[in-house]
Amino acid sequence: MSLLRLRAALGGPARLGGIPWSVLRNYSSASAKEKARRSPVCERTELLEVLKARVKQLQAGNGPEVTVNKQELSLLGNDKLQDPLRSEVAPGPTEEPPAPWGREKSLSRPSSWAEKLKKEMYIRQLKVERKLSLAASQPTLENQVNAKPKGKVKAKSKTKKSPKIPKTKVAPAWNQSQAGSRSTYTHGKLRVATGKEGVKAQGPQRVQEEKDNNQQKILQQTIQSNLQCFLFLQQPEEAERFLLLYHSSPSKRRLLDVNAYDIVMRSWARKGRVRRVSRIFSLMESVGMRPSLGSFAAALEGLGRSQASPKAVWRCLQQLKNNGFHVDELFQKCLFEEDEKEMVLRAIRIVQPDYQLPPSPSPQTSKSSLLQDFYSKEKTVSYPKLDFSVQELQKRFQQQLEMELNSTVTIESVESTKPLTTQTLKARKLLGTLRSQWHSSILQALQKSKHSMSKLRVAPGYNTLYPYLCLLPDEEYVAIMMQILNTLSPQGESLAVLARELGSKVYNRYITQQKLRSQQLEKVQAVYEGYIHLLAKDSQPDEYLPREYWEKLVAESGFGPSLNLRDCSWPYMLLMRLGMHLLELLVQAVKVPRNILNPRLEPKLIPVLYHIYSFHSSWQVGLIKPHPIFSQIVSDAAETLLTFNSSAIPMLCPPVPWTSPHFGAYILNDTKLMRFVDGAIQHQLLLEQCPPVNLHPVLDALNLLGNCAWKVNQPVLDIIISIFNDKGNEKLDIPPPVSEAPKPPVAPGNSSTWNKSHKHELLLYKKKTAEMHSLRMDALYKLSIANYVRDKVFWFPHNMDFRGRTYPCPPYFNHLGNDVTRAILLFAEGRPLGPKGLDWLKIHLVNLTGLKKKNALQERLEYANEIMEEILDSADHPLTGRKWWMNTDEPWQALACCMEIAKASRSPDPAAYISHFPVHQDGSCNGLQHYAALGRDLIGAISVNLMPCSVPQDVYSAVAQQVEEFRRKDAEQGVKIARVLQGFVSRKVVKQTVMTVVYGVTRYGGRLQMEKRLKEINEFPEEYLWEASHYLVKQVFNGIKEMFSATRDIQHWLTESAKLIAQSGRTVEWVTPLGLPIVQPYYRSRPTVLNCSMQHLSVKSFNSNQKPDTVKQKNAFPPNFIHSLDSTHMMLTALHCLRQGLTFVSVHDCYWTHALTVDIMNQICRQQFVALHSEKILQDLSEFMLEKYCSPGRENRALWQKKLMEQLSNVPKTGDFNLKEVMDSTYFFS
Amino acid sequence: MLAGRAPPGAAGCRRLLAAALAAGLRPLLCGPPCWAAARRAVGQWPSPGLRIPEAAEAERLVQQLQRVQRARLPLRRFIACPQLARTVQRCLQGGASPSPQPVLLECAPGPGILTRTLLNAGVKVVALESNSAFLPNLQSLENSLDGQLKVIYGDFFRLDPLGTGTVKPPAVCSDKLFETMGVAAVPWRADVPVKIFGILPQRRERNMLWRLLFALYECSSIYRYGRVELNIFVSEKEYKVLTAKPGEVKAYQALTVLWQVGCEIELLHKEPWSSFATNLKSGGLAVPKSRWLPNDHLCLVRLTPQENLFTGGLKPTNSSTFIFMVKQCLAKPKSRLTDRLKSWSLDNSGKLLRELEIPKNAETRNLYPEDYRRLFEALQNSSVFTETWFHDEVLESIRNINL
Repeated sequence: MSLLRLRAALGGPARLGGIPWSVLRNYSSASAKEKARRSPVCERTELLEVLKARVKQLQAGNGPEVTVNKQELSLLGNDKLQDPLRSEVAPGPTEEPPAPWGREKSLSRPSSWAEKLKKEMYIRQLKVERKLSLAASQPTLENQVNAKPKGKVKAKSKTKKSPKIPKTKVAPAWNQSQAGSRSTYTHGKLRVATGKEGVKAQGPQRVQEEKDNNQQKILQQTIQSNLQCFLFLQQPEEAERFLLLYHSSPSKRRLLDVNAYDIVMRSWARKGRVRRVSRIFSLMESVGMRPSLGSFAAALEGLGRSQASPKAVWRCLQQLKNNGFHVDELFQKCLFEEDEKEMVLRAIRIVQPDYQLPPSPSPQTSKSSLLQDFYSKEKTVSYPKLDFSVQELQKRFQQQLEMELNSTVTIESVESTKPLTTQTLKARKLLGTLRSQWHSSILQALQKSKHSMSKLRVAPGYNTLYPYLCLLPDEEYVAIMMQILNTLSPQGESLAVLARELGSKVYNRYITQQKLRSQQLEKVQAVYEGYIHLLAKDSQPDEYLPREYWEKLVAESGFGPSLNLRDCSWPYMLLMRLGMHLLELLVQAVKVPRNILNPRLEPKLIPVLYHIYSFHSSWQVGLIKPHPIFSQIVSDAAETLLTFNSSAIPMLCPPVPWTSPHFGAYILNDTKLMRFVDGAIQHQLLLEQCPPVNLHPVLDALNLLGNCAWKVNQPVLDIIISIFNDKGNEKLDIPPPVSEAPKPPVAPGNSSTWNKSHKHELLLYKKKTAEMHSLRMDALYKLSIANYVRDKVFWFPHNMDFRGRTYPCPPYFNHLGNDVTRAILLFAEGRPLGPKGLDWLKIHLVNLTGLKKKNALQERLEYANEIMEEILDSADHPLTGRKWWMNTDEPWQALACCMEIAKASRSPDPAAYISHFPVHQDGSCNGLQHYAALGRDLIGAISVNLMPCSVPQDVYSAVAQQVEEFRRKDAEQGVKIARVLQGFVSRKVVKQTVMTVVYGVTRYGGRLQMEKRLKEINEFPEEYLWEASHYLVKQVFNGIKEMFSATRDIQHWLTESAKLIAQSGRTVEWVTPLGLPIVQPYYRSRPTVLNCSMQHLSVKSFNSNQKPDTVKQKNAFPPNFIHSLDSTHMMLTALHCLRQGLTFVSVHDCYWTHALTVDIMNQICRQQFVALHSEKILQDLSEFMLEKYCSPGRENRALWQKKLMEQLSNVPKTGDFNLKEVMDSTYFFS
Repeated sequence: MLAGRAPPGAAGCRRLLAAALAAGLRPLLCGPPCWAAARRAVGQWPSPGLRIPEAAEAERLVQQLQRVQRARLPLRRFIACPQLARTVQRCLQGGASPSPQPVLLECAPGPGILTRTLLNAGVKVVALESNSAFLPNLQSLENSLDGQLKVIYGDFFRLDPLGTGTVKPPAVCSDKLFETMGVAAVPWRADVPVKIFGILPQRRERNMLWRLLFALYECSSIYRYGRVELNIFVSEKEYKVLTAKPGEVKAYQALTVLWQVGCEIELLHKEPWSSFATNLKSGGLAVPKSRWLPNDHLCLVRLTPQENLFTGGLKPTNSSTFIFMVKQCLAKPKSRLTDRLKSWSLDNSGKLLRELEIPKNAETRNLYPEDYRRLFEALQNSSVFTETWFHDEVLESIRNINL
């Protein structure tokens, strides 16, 4: 029987799906033979005839339609007839179930007959659906004694009632004339054709579609993540029930796409329930949805599991072909979990016993002209080896895996060395008992709320969070909530932040669970085992890049789950809702006896967390604050254990290489290739659409940066910790503990009698302590993590922001940190200093001091030699000697460098001394360098060191001079403010503004910066602050305009282009020379209100009709574009350094390598800069945008479009700077 | 009708215009009679018999100003119509006792229609004008009178700015202002020392109401000088808020409770928006939109601080906590009072409410303003109420609202 059903489901209608529309349209051309063979076709043609007649009738008569006769009622899929009309005007979207009112928009001829037809069609549809879902629910009743279908029927009858006047009016007439012997599928058949036709006619209307898609995307995502939960929980019945809730309502059905049906099919297939799978299949076809490759994969999986008959499999495969797919595609394009792949294969082999898996596609290589050398196989050198054996790396991998499996790590804080007082011990004990009480009360609350939710489930509340509360064991939710409680600062935290944190923690653990469940982890483990042979010192050298090697291993492994997970991200709103629910539970459940610190009070439980509003002029922010009693106990207990997410700790083994936007970095922790603001989905979509080969250079660069091994500079760490535990030192940037804060102002009497000035003082004091607390905690985290890994070698996996700038993933301790953190870090790999290494160390030291900025390298070196005594003293007696290092710009790095120089110079042969010390080379005003190179500005190029000079040029001084010149002239002219400013125009005053001009600072922001600088000068008369800063910022802008004329043109061109693009309703997109697609994520998003019982939360969501924020799009484009260029330059340098065997890491425009290889790195850096800017960057950008935003071939262009086209084609002219000069410029990066 | 007519609006610069304004409105004086001094002593001046320009004339002057001044002026409303001016004058003097009338501070008189009406009615007026273009006209009027009018350059709606640095005119400090007016501080329970009349600037209406409220509860700014009586035109929607009853959705807000506790609120007059002249180029009315509340009028409201405001547990020193408490409660008007109290850990809230005879399930929007006051005073006396928890937020909110 099951076979029969399957045949009915898979065979009949879908075969029709393959029939091109032309056949359907010219129904008369359908051959008699075919009619005879397939009765549904006959039926269809009849219907079409009827329909045609009806159209004529309506067209001719145009009279009011009062009665609905039987014939009309049997119109099936009459929307079809409108299609010829529609396809001329606006083709429908690809695979969307066409809903009548959705299409209304696209119908440009609103003649009344068409409207009537539509109405009829709508009613018709309703009817069919009801029948369908009734039919669907029946087998459920047959097969299992199950109460659920009842609920569904109820829900359905409710949706039927949904108020639409025409429907309710005509419905009775309908019921009377139900007696048609129509097959429910016929309707669907025609729909399938619609879908196909849509595919063909796709094109000019894409913009509109994209918008609509974006809107629905979030809702679709919510439905899918709900279904995915059921799949994860292995509850196919629930999944189907949920699907039917949407399926049975025409308005809601719009939100279902193929994926939703696929998920349900998969959850049945996993249980081997072929009949159920086939039913979903038929459901899908009944609404004219075209099955996807995934649908067939699920069907075949089910067939494979149930050892189906060859006939069934054969039909299914036939069907697949009819839909335009190929069997091989199943294995090439689908993602599999667990043993799905094997099952599909088994099914196929039932009919084709000798079927072999298709060979994996041969790896492509990037064709970017900038990387021809890099990817050309002839020049390949083996990937640099780490100083570890395969076995050692394997062990480290196990450690890392264990850590990630635990999801959190608890480490000793560096404060642990303090002696314990009895009070501390008492408080710790108290906290311990309280925690266990809270733990059980939270657990209770959670279970209670789950219980009440599970009861509610029957009602048609689709938005239930219940499945999301079942994904993890209860204990895990409690642990997450306890973690939040433990890390809450005494000042409290905003509701939104806490909710997001809770939500994403649950999500992350769910993802981990899913990786375990789908057996993805085992496969990663297996592949990683092979992968480390590329890196280990004791294995064969392989001429592969990490990504290539990984891909090769994956391809070889063949079976098993796919490494990429099926996309299962949760929409942001859902994350917040889940978070809010957990937060509410937390606030309700956690209580403390109020007499715990003051036994005289009567014992009574009071909440630990309270909800309070903070007011900011017109809006209010909800905060969660811990009760002072709680804060008191926590501070008394002075606990020395810190708990982090495992992703906050650097990795203990080389990161998993990035191979796709979805896969890389940590073993289990979910990491995004591109960081983005919460809820923004554009970047991810763009990356997915991008051909994988285009991303290779970027992925390879990230892998390279992540593969750099690090270790801790222990002597420096020890000194820092000693100061940290001894009251800190603000001058050295070691934040003192809050106990060192100035005492609070003493006021007479109780707080209510204080006057205003007292209150103000108190406010300042509170602010200061809050600030100190957060600084202290930040340093504590950094140092504790550093201390935790002090004996280990570790890695920072990298990802990037939307402009391609790279960042290490672990948030607290990494090389992007401040002076203190950077001073703690050393390369794990050591290299001899070589002949010039010691000199480079010395120059590096002088660079760190901030002295001798305007001197040549040789002079810096000489200076270092002069002060050698101070350097050695600093190294030997950092805290007791003359403390020369303390008075430098970057004291801690300077100290570390002093120590390295001391060790090196005292070694018998400094050139052979093995150094782990990173030497930095900084771009001098890197943004302006890129601008100057883009515009070939001669004067500008000189001032930012693109031209070879004997001494470094300083653009800030140059601008300051220029401004001083303007001022002098104005003063002579008698401008008062120019006179006031006499003697105040300096490098320091203009520096920040010049630096940020490149990144799009406005006059407004520039003035504020100036005002700040002028305020710092005590002698400057305060009353002129506003006027002077206003004047200065104007002159700085003028000065820059003078010096960088082409730069300003380019900036202007970029800004104007972005403005016009944004005004046309699109976001600004471009592609970096390395092929990374970029989109600016600035939208005028309307906040959505999330109704929660504790508080209504306004959440910025990205779903509602995303119009670009013109101002942001426009202002941010120039800086973002320049950032995308500097990141490209960095990646190019990184990749080419790899080919030369260099160790390379970067902090944006500051490049690090060993002292031995500084010269080579500098050379590569310059080469790549020249290579990058030799590309026609602006022309390419212009062409790309013209193609993207001014679609060619359309005759009647709107005015704005002409304007946009003109703007985009009008690339600014460049100056006559010879780019090749950069090659010899010593101070380009120094 | 003696003096020359206002010249046609071709004047090219501000000075010219000022001269024109002065000329156009030159006061007509009846020579100061000798009995004036006697009447002055009782606070009632003889009518100087000034000519009141017609509405059209005043409007033209306002419009002219807009055209001449280059910078875009913020939206301002003026009383241009002599009838309206008379109505306002009567309202302001309404219920005047024979005892000496306090000085009347008129904020932003503009063309001075009301000023003249008031002067004619014998009121002693201090005119505080923020637009220097109106000043010469007012000043010449001042000079022509024997001390009945004092003109000061300044903006009442930028009183006591909070920023650091020197106060740049037209921003003014209240102590400077009162010194110039010659008004000394009186005890709280004494009579009204000064009456103030003004039209709240529309865009900062709510902000102004909050600022005045904070000043009132802290006895700072103008309220340092005693129970200053405000007579202000507010939009009808704000008036509805000020006078809302408990339970009125949308209208009953924290502002309602606090103003009703702090002041006696009296509606003196309602006037349609169209009766006022604006300085908009188009001459439009720019009536602010209102979604929930009616907003067809400007309402002249008299806000007289309660004499017994600080007699109970409420003090100028702890009043910011009271304000904060009310704001917290009404941030979510449908929440239950007990829940709110509980979330502040005031654990015996049940008992407290019973004592105050407030039903246990009362929503915060159902409490009368007086209930809030009693609640606060009860909390002040209870040992459990540790307002110190609020401190950061209370202080924050003061800082924020005073912007």
